[in-house]
Amino acid sequence: MPSRYEFEEKFREQILRCSRCGFCQAVCPVFGATLRPALNARGKMLLLKEVMDGRIELNDELIESLFQCTTCANCYKNCPSGVNVPEIIRLARKDMVKGGSCHPAFKGMNEVLDKSPNIYAEDDPEDFDREKNQQAENVYFVGCVGLYREDEATSATLDLLDRLKVDYTLIDEVCCSGVLEDVGFSMKDHLVLKNIEGILATGARRVITGCPYCSRTFNKQPQYAALKDKGIEVVHIAQFLQGFDFGVTTDKRVTYHDPCDLGRHCGIYEEPRITIRKIAPDFVEMADNRENALCCGAGGGVRGAYAKNSIAMARRRLEQAEAIGADIILTECNSCVHNLTNAKLRKQKFKIYNTTQFINELMEKAESA
Amino acid sequence: MDEKLKQDLIGIVGDANVTDSLIDMVSLSYDASEHRGRPEAGVSVESAEQVSKIMHLANARKISVIPRGAGTGLSGMAIPVKGGIVLDLARMNRILNISIEDRLAVVEPGVVYRDLEKALLPHGFFFPPDPASGKVSTLGGNVATNAGGLKGAKYGTTRDYVLGLQVVLPDGRMMRTGSKAMKSVSGYDLTRLFVGSEGTLGVVTEITLKINPKPTATSTALATFDDLVDAGNAINQTMYSGIIPSALEILGRETLAAINQNTELNLPEVDAMILVETDGYTREETDYQLQKVMDVFQRNHAREVRQAETEKDVEELWKARKSAYAVLARIEPNFVLEDVTVPMSQIASLLKGVQAISLRHGLRIATFGHAGDGNLHPQILYNGYDPDQVRRMEAASADLFKLAIELGGTLTGEHGIGLSKAPYMTLEHDPVAMDVMRSLKKMFDPNNILNPGKMGLEI
Repeated sequence: MPSRYEFEEKFREQILRCSRCGFCQAVCPVFGATLRPALNARGKMLLLKEVMDGRIELNDELIESLFQCTTCANCYKNCPSGVNVPEIIRLARKDMVKGGSCHPAFKGMNEVLDKSPNIYAEDDPEDFDREKNQQAENVYFVGCVGLYREDEATSATLDLLDRLKVDYTLIDEVCCSGVLEDVGFSMKDHLVLKNIEGILATGARRVITGCPYCSRTFNKQPQYAALKDKGIEVVHIAQFLQGFDFGVTTDKRVTYHDPCDLGRHCGIYEEPRITIRKIAPDFVEMADNRENALCCGAGGGVRGAYAKNSIAMARRRLEQAEAIGADIILTECNSCVHNLTNAKLRKQKFKIYNTTQFINELMEKAESA
Repeated sequence: MDEKLKQDLIGIVGDANVTDSLIDMVSLSYDASEHRGRPEAGVSVESAEQVSKIMHLANARKISVIPRGAGTGLSGMAIPVKGGIVLDLARMNRILNISIEDRLAVVEPGVVYRDLEKALLPHGFFFPPDPASGKVSTLGGNVATNAGGLKGAKYGTTRDYVLGLQVVLPDGRMMRTGSKAMKSVSGYDLTRLFVGSEGTLGVVTEITLKINPKPTATSTALATFDDLVDAGNAINQTMYSGIIPSALEILGRETLAAINQNTELNLPEVDAMILVETDGYTREETDYQLQKVMDVFQRNHAREVRQAETEKDVEELWKARKSAYAVLARIEPNFVLEDVTVPMSQIASLLKGVQAISLRHGLRIATFGHAGDGNLHPQILYNGYDPDQVRRMEAASADLFKLAIELGGTLTGEHGIGLSKAPYMTLEHDPVAMDVMRSLKKMFDPNNILNPGKMGLEI
């Protein structure tokens, strides 16, 4: 009998393979913040199992659990039974949307991207005082958060690229729309096309993204295959910077937060550390790092849909930075910077930066000294 | 859920801590066993006083209450098989006191085993039982099941460390048992009665644990055997050789194959592999002990005996062992994980017997376990969607229990009776013992509201 659902079609065996050992409770950020079994990865797999068994319906009642996953993939990395929870959740959300069940925040996001070129429905993109759409060796692709929420960090990143004499241009970019695939919808062809055309028009051989999620989307989603077909390499700025020397150091104690999209999803752990070690002799790891890094709580649409729990997840991460006495938390994702900064308590004296912004600040100081 | 009951519960713990929403009811229907049962409500508690008020209310209304920790139990003891309220203790997760001078730690029941381990480490102390689920299981759950683990042969189980408890009885009264002294024979040993009672007699709301100084040196080795009987004899002889290893684990052929399928450890796929660890305070001391054990292995025809050289090797070996049951879950959709335990001299017979049962019922039974205390984990793999396989699984379980009892052993070494082994209680316990257990239950819980349907106490 053909299955009613795409998630069942593709993942029935994996869902049944979940042995309910509960080991995901040790790493699931949503469980960690709420201690509520229904929000843990196991709880989500049990809901889908009961749907497959015909005990419950895949309907609105399941939204609070199935739409409350940051897709950080820490459960998958630690699952002894190898259950790929984030992929299963992605498909289950699509099945739910098809059946008319969706969190209003995600429905809204999809509608916004029908009309607007970015997730914030902003119509006045910052140009950072630079000519766009030039011929250049590299395109710097900022991403929505960097364009509309963390524009200071973006400005600093561009200054750094200038200082390093990188030949790059910005383009009239629009949302890569990859996130829609995670929240039950599909990428928007018109947005994809606009980005591809914009990139190709510059004659660039490389796209450097400021956002790890954009880089993941460009590299992994078939809709963006045209880039690869034209021989264009897409890298995240953390990968691009690893070969540079900056000639500056800090005496501050620095730690690094692995963004899930760069780390667990793309396996990029060492490149940012190579860069940071060059500028920060007092580099200290947090208790959970690399594959085991705690999620900042922003991913999978959770920041928009479940803000309170999202902040609680970020607080747990910040406690780990506090425990090692860090002065500076560096990361490689504007979304992480944004959420961690929002969650920071007044008594926590550390500062949170994108690595590029911090290096630029050091170089700026050195120049003016 | 009945609206009046809901409002009364909200009155005790607040709106945010009472749920009857579908997502919570489904997730509270399961633990790590093969059982399920849907509750009517879930309540999260934050203090013993709240637990007391809830029990008082439930007793007056004759509503079942099922205490729950991390839900990692393997015999179904947290399953609301008769509906009722699941009492989620996970938020009572404070470590109340660590007193190195008194060699004890006082904790709430929702503290995760690993969190206590982390808190004790800077003091050079540990709480030894080391259950394989320790990174998630709660200490309250450990007490309720009398959890054991990898260190059992040398350090015993949870029971050996519980000095005292605070317990809420089914009628809502609160009491303290035991003492903070290292020893006490004052009155009946109520503490021990509650340890391993599976949440059927009272709700544990505070635990006082004896803690041990943590040995600073270990040595680890592995040995492979082509014959189960040789492996069994090697284990038995080790345990009377004069050396007590801090861990002595066996992994059977199916288990080794499953680990190899899912890791890059490349373990030898032989009939049996034994992992052994010795502990102490100098490497010389632990190597000396290890050599003695390795000699025993050699004398019992081990194919290979090898000491693990690097810390990474050691870590990988134990990680493989701790993930055994879950990697086996990848082979068939369902499994039951047993924990039969026999006297040390019967280990070889148990290993052979499990193999025979597997052949007889045409089901794969993977074996691993804490050989050093006679506790094996035969894991029966089956497809729960195939009625014939379910029937054969049940028959194989029954044979396994009979075998363990015939060998002078017990149904369960550390997972508890719960629902899975309830039908077999009378196989192990004589009618008088059963009668005493039932009388105890009736005395503590005359209305049978606390975790009903477990341990075969109902006739």
